[in-house]
Amino acid sequence: MTRDEAQQRFVALLQERFGVEEIPDDNYPLIDAKHHFELARVLREEFGYRIYSFVVASHYLEKVDAKNDNAVIDIEHYEVATGIRCVGAPAHLASWRVRVELDQSIPTLFPLFAGADWQEREQYDLVGVRFDEHPDLRRLMMPEDWEGHPLRKDYAIETACPPWR
Amino acid sequence: MAVDESQRTYEHPLYQHVERMPGVSVALGSIDQLLTWGSANSLWIFPMATSCCGIEFMAAAASGVDLDRMGSIPRGTPRQCDVMVVAGTITVKMAPRVKKLWEQMPEPKWCVAMGSCAISGDFYRDIYSVIPGIDTFVPVDVYVPGCPPNPEALMHGLLLLQEKIRMVREGTLTREEVRPESPPNLNRPAIGRLQDPERDPLTDEEQTDSAAGLGFGDNLNLAQIRRPRPEPELRPQVDAEPRPQVDAEPRPQVDAELRPQVDAEPQPEVDADEESAP
Amino acid sequence: MHSVTGVDPHLDIETYDPSADLMVLNLGPQHPSTHGVFRVKLYLDGEIIIKAVPYAGYLHRGVEKLCEELTFVQIIPIVDKNDYVSPMMNEQAIAMACEAMLGIEVPPRALYLRTIFAELQRLASHLLWLGTFGMDLGGALGGGATLFMYCFRERETILGLFEEVTGCRFHYNTHAVGGNRHDITPKFSCDTKTTLEVIEKRLEEYVQIFSSNRIYRARTQGIGVLDGDLANSLGITGPLARASGVDHDLRRDAPYHIYGELDVKVFTESAGDCFARTLVRLNEMYESIRIVREIIDSVPEGPILGMKPGKSPGHIKIDASQGYSCIESPRGELGTYIIGGGKSRGASAYRLKIRSPSLHAASCIPYLFPGHTVSDAVAILGTLDPIMGEVDR
Ligand code: SF4
Repeated sequence: MTRDEAQQRFVALLQERFGVEEIPDDNYPLIDAKHHFELARVLREEFGYRIYSFVVASHYLEKVDAKNDNAVIDIEHYEVATGIRCVGAPAHLASWRVRVELDQSIPTLFPLFAGADWQEREQYDLVGVRFDEHPDLRRLMMPEDWEGHPLRKDYAIETACPPWR
Repeated sequence: MAVDESQRTYEHPLYQHVERMPGVSVALGSIDQLLTWGSANSLWIFPMATSCCGIEFMAAAASGVDLDRMGSIPRGTPRQCDVMVVAGTITVKMAPRVKKLWEQMPEPKWCVAMGSCAISGDFYRDIYSVIPGIDTFVPVDVYVPGCPPNPEALMHGLLLLQEKIRMVREGTLTREEVRPESPPNLNRPAIGRLQDPERDPLTDEEQTDSAAGLGFGDNLNLAQIRRPRPEPELRPQVDAEPRPQVDAEPRPQVDAELRPQVDAEPQPEVDADEESAP
Repeated sequence: MHSVTGVDPHLDIETYDPSADLMVLNLGPQHPSTHGVFRVKLYLDGEIIIKAVPYAGYLHRGVEKLCEELTFVQIIPIVDKNDYVSPMMNEQAIAMACEAMLGIEVPPRALYLRTIFAELQRLASHLLWLGTFGMDLGGALGGGATLFMYCFRERETILGLFEEVTGCRFHYNTHAVGGNRHDITPKFSCDTKTTLEVIEKRLEEYVQIFSSNRIYRARTQGIGVLDGDLANSLGITGPLARASGVDHDLRRDAPYHIYGELDVKVFTESAGDCFARTLVRLNEMYESIRIVREIIDSVPEGPILGMKPGKSPGHIKIDASQGYSCIESPRGELGTYIIGGGKSRGASAYRLKIRSPSLHAASCIPYLFPGHTVSDAVAILGTLDPIMGEVDR
């Protein structure tokens, strides 16, 4: 199977079983948070996507329309992108995004992929997304008593840390 | 936290009592020389190697440069060592450990900051988790600049340290040790960031021009940028920094072979020629 | 849980035999065998490890945050410092990610250069691993620092080659979005061939040191067995996974650069222990030498930069799209996930994540350590070869 065929199969799966309507060209498909775990399970067990590749959380600030009397276009939220890969040729990467509201959390993939343990801890540490039923959701990079999540957009890069700087 | 400099001693307290005994001082003169020679030439290194500079430190300890021949043996424990070489970025999480390890080293001890990260934090300087230079919490004796410094540069740094130890023991170190207090705007880099409103547009231009000259191949008029190059030098430039003023006294013979031939470079003979020509 | 060995990484130490007299031992963060600053807290029953809790982050330099502030042109020398044992790979990963998102064509000569650099770097990186691993095992490999000295001698020759091209021993900053900055000369290919010949001859010596040394075999065979399924589900790739029987190599399966035209041999071992990892890495060194030899003479003429150099640091702009691309670094899949800055801040990334193989490799420590003695832990940590700059970023 070539990589294009694998991609088509992935798109067909999303459209038929997970109700995704449009797949953007320059972006990964956005799926509903409630399908997140199920999609990973189907890909792993039925299609042989066994390598856990990455999870990327990003933080979006509130967006306002300056021209239109500061009307709110989009509220503050997170987005979590996940990628898993199949073993051997064509090494296709199945990747999707999930929108997570500020007060929501997202199910962990730890029961499927052991690698989710550290990766999700890292994203929690740096961005602040919470993962449901994660066995050990502690900080990974920063000290335990650190305040704030450095990769959020409202976190200044030169935040001082007394007494060291 | 600043370390109280007046508390640092370089010799055992008993030594001063012995020295006061009648007749001893004559014998001690030569013993003192021996001790000076010994302590300058057996600097055991505690490598505080945290990142990339640590790899360069390993290269310096390995076969090419071979620090061992100067009597500097890297040891894995602070308790056997005289010099701590901090090679790499020190983060907020690591700094308390570095301080603790420094305090575990027995006196007399010295510290070498290797690489821009240890000196000033390099370009990580204003990141939330990086310490802007280790001299904010341990006293540094020698700074070895570079990102990363060549193994030869580290070697030069250690030679300078030997020089300093000698001068301190002989009492010839006349310059005050400069340990500047951290400037108040420590966290601000000297050159503004791109988004900085105070950034000078001229800086922008200069930087891009110099970057463009670095080999963008056929797409630029290189003749404009390229300047005549000097003849390539055979030796790496380990001696680019200003050296401390060395007094004219002859040094003990032993280290004459060990030192690279920095001072022995032939003076340019231009003056002599010009005088003799007319 | 996931492991066939039945190791639970989140074992509650209270429930493990409350009457046992356990000892807690800290390995690191400043320990010569951790290859950097990494801390593992070991719970010992006698000399057997019951539970290992790793702590990372002692070298967290906030590279991802810095990459959001700087422009795409400026971040290339910064990502150099992540995996400081193979900086070429970091540059290539970032440059390739930008090129893929912008659809920039890289000229063939630059592709050849990148392949040559990548393979030489793989060789240098594995040599460094071999040297430090020899030092970790101490007396097992002929007295501590012997192998270390040998390997650094060889590594220096490769760094010399790079220095001639780029002017730097490492941290080269030689890749740009759309091509390379420094061109090679005929002298370079000459020197490379001589260097490789020397290294190949000496590698044979090292293989002998490994294969015929009984102490070495006793300390590595059957130690730290990593199951193939566990490796996949942890996201471990590269030589570690291949030593556990996972036949997966991005150079062959998802070719980039000019690997599609080459016939890259992928070596796998089924044992999954420390000895298998050594063998896979040694074989990869030979393979790298072969690849460089094969292509060094057929580098096509032409430009090495496919894009007009811009006048300002912000001339590369990526709009709000997202993308991920990856290469096979000496430690596995090194990827970059970029979210473009949109119309207003397109010159720098909105979010940039570096998918580092070392972080995944380090995450198998809680699974591998239990059941072994402390001295085995050092051997296992040595073969995992995590680079702390990449684990913590
Ligand atoms: S100075 Fe440069 S080479 Fe040294 S640790 Fe810092 S970034 Fe790495």
